[in-house]
Amino acid sequence: MAAVKQTVEHVASLEKYKHGFVTDIEQDFAPKGLNADTVRFISAKKNEPEWMLQWRLEAFERWLALDEPDWAKVSFPPIDYQDSYYYAAPKEKTGPKSLDEVDPDLLETYKKLGIPLREQEVLAGVVGAPKYAVDAVFDSVSVVTTFKKELAQVGVIFCSMSEAIREYPELVKQYLGTVVPVSDNYFACLNAAVFSDGSFVYVPPGVRCPMELSTYFRINAENSGQFERTLIIADKGAYVSYLEGCTAPMRDENQLHAAVVELVVLDDAEIKYSTVQNWYPGDPETGKGGIYNFVTKRADCRGDRSKVSWTQVETGSSITWKYPSCVLRGEGSSGEFYSIAITNGRQQADTGTKMIHLGANTRSRIISKGISAGRSSNTYRGLVSAHPKAKGARNFTQCDSLLIGKHCAAHTVPYIEARNGQSKFEHEATTTRLSEDQLFYAMQRGLTQEEAVQLLVNGFVKDVLQELPMEFAVEAQKLVAISLEGSVG
Amino acid sequence: MTVAAAIRERDVSQLPGKRDEDWRWTDLRGLIRQAPEPSAVIDPGSLGSGPFDALAEDVIVVANGRGAAHIGVEPGETKVVALRVVSRGDGAHAARVSIDVETGGRLVLLETYEGDAGGYLGQVGLLISVAENAAIERVVLASDGAEGVTVSEALVELSPGAAFAQTVLTSGARRQRLQTTVRHPGGHAALRLDGVYLLADKRHADLTTVVTHAALHGATEQLTKGVVRDQARGVFQGRIVVAEGADHTDARMGHHALILSDRAEVDAKPELEIYADDVSCAHGNTVGALDDEALFYARQRGIPEPEARAMLTEAFIGEVVDRIVHEPAREIARAWAAEQLRA
Repeated sequence: MAAVKQTVEHVASLEKYKHGFVTDIEQDFAPKGLNADTVRFISAKKNEPEWMLQWRLEAFERWLALDEPDWAKVSFPPIDYQDSYYYAAPKEKTGPKSLDEVDPDLLETYKKLGIPLREQEVLAGVVGAPKYAVDAVFDSVSVVTTFKKELAQVGVIFCSMSEAIREYPELVKQYLGTVVPVSDNYFACLNAAVFSDGSFVYVPPGVRCPMELSTYFRINAENSGQFERTLIIADKGAYVSYLEGCTAPMRDENQLHAAVVELVVLDDAEIKYSTVQNWYPGDPETGKGGIYNFVTKRADCRGDRSKVSWTQVETGSSITWKYPSCVLRGEGSSGEFYSIAITNGRQQADTGTKMIHLGANTRSRIISKGISAGRSSNTYRGLVSAHPKAKGARNFTQCDSLLIGKHCAAHTVPYIEARNGQSKFEHEATTTRLSEDQLFYAMQRGLTQEEAVQLLVNGFVKDVLQELPMEFAVEAQKLVAISLEGSVG
Repeated sequence: MTVAAAIRERDVSQLPGKRDEDWRWTDLRGLIRQAPEPSAVIDPGSLGSGPFDALAEDVIVVANGRGAAHIGVEPGETKVVALRVVSRGDGAHAARVSIDVETGGRLVLLETYEGDAGGYLGQVGLLISVAENAAIERVVLASDGAEGVTVSEALVELSPGAAFAQTVLTSGARRQRLQTTVRHPGGHAALRLDGVYLLADKRHADLTTVVTHAALHGATEQLTKGVVRDQARGVFQGRIVVAEGADHTDARMGHHALILSDRAEVDAKPELEIYADDVSCAHGNTVGALDDEALFYARQRGIPEPEARAMLTEAFIGEVVDRIVHEPAREIARAWAAEQLRA
């Protein structure tokens, strides 16, 4: 039962450290609206050092000068940035003495979140539970972090961003904002000013992270924007696989989520980043209430022969605006992007990737599968570019779209910019509907229409599913089926 | 047509620039800082003959923005017309030409852009309408000067059952945009939009097409190929829109480019915008260098390298040129392309 005790103590210490003041709920929210004082409030609330506050304030200044981008093929009512909360911490209770005392709502939420049973066992401290690290971001503040010691033994740092700012300021200073600069874009800049929390991972040279690192994001407090900031650094020759999964409860008001994920990959290192995103997509008829997901994800392959692989399964959110990118700087570095984007109901997704080839002999591969159903709109938008110095750059892109129903839309907007004579870019795209012959064949063999659609769709996205880590692949396959429920017939 | 307005009103702020999404790779605002003087009037008689004059029944000349403004084909009539758009000197000029082919009519439109060494800014807007069961084959040879800036904007209105086939060949200019916008009504109308760009030195060419399928049963076929050398820049933007209800649309788009030097550039944006589900749309895009193995094969058989390169690039382009139906025009286009490649 040592593990239970350890976890509980850890929870207790975290809770005390962060919210060791009163149980007044009002105190857990920053006042509505956004100004320099909100930024100061957030920074103070998180006990941040002065340099961090300055960094945030500078970002806020720059954000004021930026305009919200409007080039994506999505439409939504204008966002009132002053009508949102920018900081919300979970309800405080004085430190629980054991897990039994942990807010049952919280445990119930984990259950709903679909945290696999094994992880629940881990949280419950069952002896012999598999080694699996969970850093649950529960409404802006990390509540539970497990297996830190295990990771620490090999020198891997896996903690919340707030903790990293306190414990590893040098690493944070060195890398934060170097992949996605503060004023990179409107939403990234907003994030830099008000980011709530997120994960920080550092894998030291030559270390292969002994377990998959996993985070469950979850937006909980009503009307609170969530601004995650994640920074992952794979030092020379290191390897890490990171999983990110999201769900959200039903809400009436639109919720803004503007995360920033930065990956730094040094010589011979590799990061595999997988996402399953299943946030509330809004009412299927009106589109009301869904999450706005405006995310900036970028990997900087700084080192020679470094490698990044992005895999994403996007099924949720009312609006998705997301382009996980790779800057292929190091010689011989490579980037991969595997994506499944499913839209149904009134969802709108504008997603894709950027492969920016700067170094010689860099390689990239893009496989994108978009499925639109209902009255949704699904856009692939991608950039592949080769700098004059990127001799021998190589890209292969395949983006396929599948349409289910008469009122959905699928768009493909690739940008290709080749600036030297020794690179080779190939791109192909198709848009078709579900084959009637195949449907007929499957149904003739006794499958219902829904089962047949699921079977065909899973075949369509197979190339991407097989890139996911095992735990996610199973979940994702189910998600694909659930997302398309009611889309045929 | 903002370029035309900018020229007529001598207002450079109306020129599109790189912040305009559709002009991101063809920046006119950044290039032209001051409104040029209007072009001088030139005597069409002083121009000599154009490349297609011998094939055409009518030769229409638009010189520095002035000249005939209409080409008409009566119902059931068949015509071969050469349209010469000529630019001379340093001024700016804009012109508008309307082309109507009535029911069952046939037109072979042999269009040329002819420039001199001047730093002109020329714009031409073509309004092309193709009635039911009528057909147009448009072959464009664009030989602008190295200092010239040309914008050609064609708007094609197809009727059901009509056919429009186009092949644009260009050697570029200081900056050049050859744009074709097609309203495709479906109804078994057939559309082919092909292009070839062969660019050297610091030349630039932008082939942009926008096809909107509005109703059932439409077909579009597109193939564009380009070869860029030195510090040239080739741009291809192709957009196919299939509106809601335009089911049974079949659209294919291909763009393939060869970059033959380390400082040349190719930018491409093949777009699909689909609002109907029973469609079959695809695009393919490749950019790269000449195939080393093919070169090796040719050299191994005693063909010197420069010649082997020329043969391979000509064969690469040949696939597009071969699709020109009008045979004499095809041979002129082929000879013109060969000349550009061997220059």
